[in-house]
Amino acid sequence: MNAAKSWKEKLGNTVPEAWAREIDVFETQIELRKKGKIEEKLFAETRLRRGTYGQRYDNGQRHDGAVTQLLAYPSGEITKGPVTLWDAPGMQRIKIPYGRLTIAQLETIADLAEEYSDRILHVTTRQDIQLHFIHIEDTPDLMRRLAAAGITTREACGNTVRNVTGCPYAGVCQTESFDVTPYAHAMTFFLLGHDDTQNFGRKFKLSFSGCKDNPCALANFHDIGCIARTRTVDGRKERGFEVVVGGGLGSVPQNAQLFDAFVPETELLPLAQAMSRVYARLGEKQNRAKARLKFLVKKLGLEEFKRLVLEERATLRPDPRWTAFLADLHVTDEKPLRAAGPLPAGPYPAGFDAWRATNVVPQAQAGYVMALVTLPLGDLTSDQARLLADVARRFTGDTLRTTADQNLLLRWVSEADLPALYQALQAAELAGAGAGTLTDIVACPGTDTCKLGISSSRALAAQLGRELTGSALAENPNAKGLHIKASGCFNACGQHHVADLGFLGVSRNVNGRRVPHFQLVVGGQWTNNAGSYGLAIGAVPSKRVPEVVKRLAGRFAAERQGDETFSAFVNRIGKKTIRALVEEMQAVPPHEVDPSFYTDWGDPREYTIDDMGVGECAGEVVPLVEVGLADAEREIFESQILLEEKKPAEAVARAYSAMLVAARALSREKNSNLSNDPNEIVAEFRKHFCDTQLFYDPYAGPKFAQYFFRIHDEHASAKDPEAVHQLIEEATLFVDAAHQVYARLGASLGGPALGLAPAATVPSPAPAPGVGA
Amino acid sequence: MNPSKLQLKLFADRNVHAPESEAFIPVFHRWIRDHVLAELVIDVANYAHVPKGPGVVLIGHTGDYYLDDSDGRFGLLYSRKRGLAGAAFEARLEDLFRRTLHAAALLEKEAPATGAGQGGLRFGTNELLFRVNDRLAAPASDETFAALRPALEAMAGRLFEGPFELTRVGDARALFGVKLVGTGEPSDLSTLLARVGGPPAADLP
Repeated sequence: MNAAKSWKEKLGNTVPEAWAREIDVFETQIELRKKGKIEEKLFAETRLRRGTYGQRYDNGQRHDGAVTQLLAYPSGEITKGPVTLWDAPGMQRIKIPYGRLTIAQLETIADLAEEYSDRILHVTTRQDIQLHFIHIEDTPDLMRRLAAAGITTREACGNTVRNVTGCPYAGVCQTESFDVTPYAHAMTFFLLGHDDTQNFGRKFKLSFSGCKDNPCALANFHDIGCIARTRTVDGRKERGFEVVVGGGLGSVPQNAQLFDAFVPETELLPLAQAMSRVYARLGEKQNRAKARLKFLVKKLGLEEFKRLVLEERATLRPDPRWTAFLADLHVTDEKPLRAAGPLPAGPYPAGFDAWRATNVVPQAQAGYVMALVTLPLGDLTSDQARLLADVARRFTGDTLRTTADQNLLLRWVSEADLPALYQALQAAELAGAGAGTLTDIVACPGTDTCKLGISSSRALAAQLGRELTGSALAENPNAKGLHIKASGCFNACGQHHVADLGFLGVSRNVNGRRVPHFQLVVGGQWTNNAGSYGLAIGAVPSKRVPEVVKRLAGRFAAERQGDETFSAFVNRIGKKTIRALVEEMQAVPPHEVDPSFYTDWGDPREYTIDDMGVGECAGEVVPLVEVGLADAEREIFESQILLEEKKPAEAVARAYSAMLVAARALSREKNSNLSNDPNEIVAEFRKHFCDTQLFYDPYAGPKFAQYFFRIHDEHASAKDPEAVHQLIEEATLFVDAAHQVYARLGASLGGPALGLAPAATVPSPAPAPGVGA
Repeated sequence: MNPSKLQLKLFADRNVHAPESEAFIPVFHRWIRDHVLAELVIDVANYAHVPKGPGVVLIGHTGDYYLDDSDGRFGLLYSRKRGLAGAAFEARLEDLFRRTLHAAALLEKEAPATGAGQGGLRFGTNELLFRVNDRLAAPASDETFAALRPALEAMAGRLFEGPFELTRVGDARALFGVKLVGTGEPSDLSTLLARVGGPPAADLP
């Protein structure tokens, strides 16, 4: 047996063809960037759109507690984006649509974490899985292995539609209107790579919830939140969605507004498409801090936004995908592996009762329950992931779900199996109790790996976990259900706005030294799909946060009235009272008295914010036309390689494809309904660029356009190598001419100002734009 | 067969009460600051909150150093990620052993006090775990073992200077792994390090 030389060879056609092609393209782009043939901002956005992200210290600098030292990466000055060195390790975000993960996918990610990362799978607050410390050159193989398991990382970062999140209980929930899974699935793959989602100024987040009251999908802080609703018309029950728009966290948190109380299921996808178009067309592109949809909705006003969306909706070319998925809404159904049965009589294993009380949730289906697998800080090891796969294989079937609480969920557990399941989880060190309680603390990566982190949210969460787990406070029934969430900066990836006790990292100057602090935010509403946001009370030194938590939670435990929520409690005792409590905790001792205040949790270095870098979550604003032209150039390059490899027919096809891609990139700016049909592209290109003479070269006139028309008319054929070579030359000239036209027409094509070369006019990101999965 | 992503783990002596892995975070930060190792090290990752996990990790460009607690056995795991392009497997193996043993010796010297009577850190020297962190280049199979065995035996012979046993470990899903066990009288770390060539030179790209 001959061993495969590469993952590409080994996986062969197990990778879906389209995804295989995308990954090959990305690999080529990596090679081109190394050779300096792709502009760095364009490459940055390209890799971000593959989920390949920067990490702390990737600018080649690191503060050692006294001074900043250079990290001498061997590739020297080659970059993979602005101020992002080639060899610096980065993060790979893996989209898990609506959190649904198969056993095989989990096992694949376990292997990848082991072979390319540090053996840790990190579940994020948007149901993704992230791997850290990955080299850019390992990413194509990593993506191939994911693709073979049915996962694409496409559009996991960058100015794109991010992971479509969904209620992890969907389909088995007792309070849902209906199972939103097939809708979230359809939305995911409808918008993925869609032309209308490629030209955003910032990221775009969608969420699906099965019911309005519960928090599981947090619809109210998404750009588009879809909440399942039903209505009865003429005695017939109809499905639809309450759609809210313009929500978001970050430094300017905004609750989503009601767009429509009932959007029929047939209208959901086209509505999202129309919203995408309006956002792409009118959303802010220059000021990154004001570019999310929430700002556009605010600027236009909800009614005007709605009018524009509905107007756009009316112009959309009908797409069979809008409703095709409705023909089989059971495509995402799950079947139980084991027969339902009652919980056997005890005695139970030690710890079982406590675990069951917090981690087991009844299903709508009698005899079945869900079991939450609590992950400390959202982390599990490769070994644990494989053991968990075995547990799922034995007890529940093929799928698990990630949750916004950074946990995992096993569904369809027969109650009869609960004690045995618990023991199996114990063997994997995954049977921790306390899901959704005071000790189940959510935290973004913060200064551990994030370039924007100000304070260490993860280390704070770990410290709080240490101090609270097993404490009387954590077991107090009044305080047990409190939620703590920590973000490393105001961008709020830890979702601190919707916690009872939220913390966001800030720094303060004390006696000429930096001291890590956390701003306390109290009274956020987790329920009602993240119904309202908490209020900032004041900043406290990081090292005093555990004491603040104990005091506040302790007071709540002692003074809670009935079922009073923490938010109501805060309102009752008054924010001034809370503020007074915080003020007592704000003092920072002099450095010579207690230097520990001048270091962050989990890091012995003297605290500094000098390691902060430029965030990449905002991506780079690269107009869609530029992306298309860069794709065309890359295809020209590939056609040359194919010719060298003595594959003339393929070389011709690729050169022709390059011309089509370039022509479409220009033409789509004139007709946003333009399809991929070559005849339609040629017709539109002829109409908008030749009949108008816009494509005419000052010296060569229509010559380059005629190259394109001829190859199209001749069906991209060429007989001998010389002719093939000539054809590639002509394709090169055509693509170059397209660049020149774009440079000339600039802003009128949705691009940069007149007369500037595209590569030079990609705007720089504003400092510290919002981040998040 | 010439895999490059190699790993070696030394297990802590169970008879010595070792500090928690987090106690070594300042040590790793100092290694970065003072360029203690002859290679580029970048960051310290703390996963001590994950039971039986990678513990505390010194992240490097060509390799990572884990204070690893997999399977509940604390030890130092060095994981080579890249570099030594074009080198023979034997040279890669030697480099692996030199780096691991060198780092282990440094850790023994710098281990924080635990307060326990037998506190500190001491690595056992008669048991090592070798793995290849690359399922494509070295599947967990008997064929892989047959291909790599001669070089591993040669290395074990140098290391132990006495009788030893090599045993394949791990199931089909695991990385290819071999346990190297010296069955003679154990030597100390510095002796083992000297036998395999001493501290490593500057890393090769």
